[in-house]
Order: sequence, then structure tokens, then C-alpha cells
Amino acid sequence: MNHHEPRLTAAAIDGLLLDTSPYLSCDDCFDQIDTYVERLLADPEHRDLPMQVHLRACGACAEEAEALLELLTSGE
Amino acid sequence: MSVMDRVMPDVDPASQEAWVGELTAPGPAGHAAQEHLFDLLLRATRHQVGRLRHQVPGAGTADLEDLAQQAAADAMIAVLGKLDTFEGRSRFSTWVYKFGVLHAGVAVRRQAWRHREVSLPDTLEPRDRLPTPEALVQAGDLHRAVEVAIMHELTPHQRRVTLALLVDQVPVDVLAARLGTNRNALYKTLHDARQRLRACLLASGHLEEPSERSKP
Repeated sequence: MNHHEPRLTAAAIDGLLLDTSPYLSCDDCFDQIDTYVERLLADPEHRDLPMQVHLRACGACAEEAEALLELLTSGE
Repeated sequence: MSVMDRVMPDVDPASQEAWVGELTAPGPAGHAAQEHLFDLLLRATRHQVGRLRHQVPGAGTADLEDLAQQAAADAMIAVLGKLDTFEGRSRFSTWVYKFGVLHAGVAVRRQAWRHREVSLPDTLEPRDRLPTPEALVQAGDLHRAVEVAIMHELTPHQRRVTLALLVDQVPVDVLAARLGTNRNALYKTLHDARQRLRACLLASGHLEEPSERSKP
């Protein structure tokens, strides 16, 4: 295996120090994401702190939420 | 008319309920309902594969369609297996889409990393190997404090997972597959590592408690 030592960038530091409380697991995020996205579309002011914190901290879940929003609003 | 009615005007709750019921029905009705489900999943997987196509620059149109078709087939199995967990809190079609989006995203990321090595380092490149003295000065105290906290506050497992995900930018699904775990467990490891780092840096005065205004 080719070992390397990664370098800490400013962006990586920001990611490392994110406050991810209140904790929400990826499974719970997946359970709720359909409801969350629909509520957000019905009311852009809708707030759900655990979900918002999770989506800020988990790139994969955030990417899926964006895709879901696009699917619901696109007319393709 | 609500935004949801405007964006998905073709969905009628009564016919949706009948459709969900028919998914497990035998004969032509069940077959037709499953075809409709697959079409919906394919819409979601094609959309997601299209969004992420930059991650697989070598893939042609046929390759991308194969990815979308396979992801839709995998998502179909997942949806049918979890049908009894649908509680009607969202529209059934929205609930279905999330499975398509999930499976397509995982498929694209795994395809993109298929031939890439995940080396799982547990140390950082020392600052004295950074390119210029100016870079060292600019990096500052916080940079050094974070480095020290990573090396001394995290367990070896937390360090490997954290460095792979946040420094080497390995996609979480790819790392999960290589480590024989899942996204959920890795996110928990990352959450615990972040908590430890934050606690350490708050105690040393390198971080301040967030104000209410800085929260999402």
C-alpha cells in the first residue's frame, strides 16, 4: 500500500471543527429527508435544526437532499 | 394551490394509495404498478447520475445509462423491501425518489473511486514540510493546535476516518465499502472526533463557543 501523509488545509480545518450538535445519524436523515424537502418546498422558512446541522456536516446526505429538491421542482 | 401541488400536479393521494396497494398485488395489476415504480426510480437515478457525471469523466452516455438502470434496479429492491415502513408522511413518489437518489449517488461515487487507492493515513504531513516559510506563518496558531489535537485527542480509528473523509476527501460510501462498515457508523465516528477536537480547542482558547446567530 502506498502510504502518504495528508496536508491540513484551511477548508479541512473548517470541516474538522464543525459543531455537529444536535446529533442526527445518516439513517435518521434518510428517514426524514422526503418529509423535510416537501416541507421546505411548501414553506422556505421551515426550520429543522438537527436536519440542517446534519446536512451542513454530511456531504453525501446534503448532495442527496439537493438532488431530491431538484427532482421535485424540475419539470423534466 | 400549494407549492407541492404545483411542482407535482399529477399526484392524487387516492390513486397514489391504490398504487401502493397494487405494488404487492399478484397478476397484471401488480406488474403494472411495479413498472410504474421502476419508471419513477429511473427518473430519479438518471437525474442523480446526470448531476454527478463530472465524477466519472471517462464514462460515456451508455455507461451512465447502465449506472442509472442498475441503480434503479437496486433501489427497486430496497423500496419493495421497505414498503411496509412507508407511513404517508410524504408523498409516496417523494419517498420513492429518495431511494433512487441514494442508490445512484452511491453507484457513481463507487464507480469514480473503483481504481483509486484509499490509503488511510493516521498521521499528517508535518508543518515543517509545508512549501514556504510564509505558508507556515499564515497557517497560524489554530492550524498547529488542530494538528496537535488530531494526533493526541483522537483514537487511531477516529484519526484514520477523519483524515480520509475530511482531508483526503474520500467519499463516505467508498470508505464504508473499503472498511466493511456503513455511512451511519462513519458519520458517528466523525461526529465523535469533531466533538473531541472542539472540546480540546475550546479548552485551549483556540475556539469560541458559537453564538446563537452563527447556528444554521
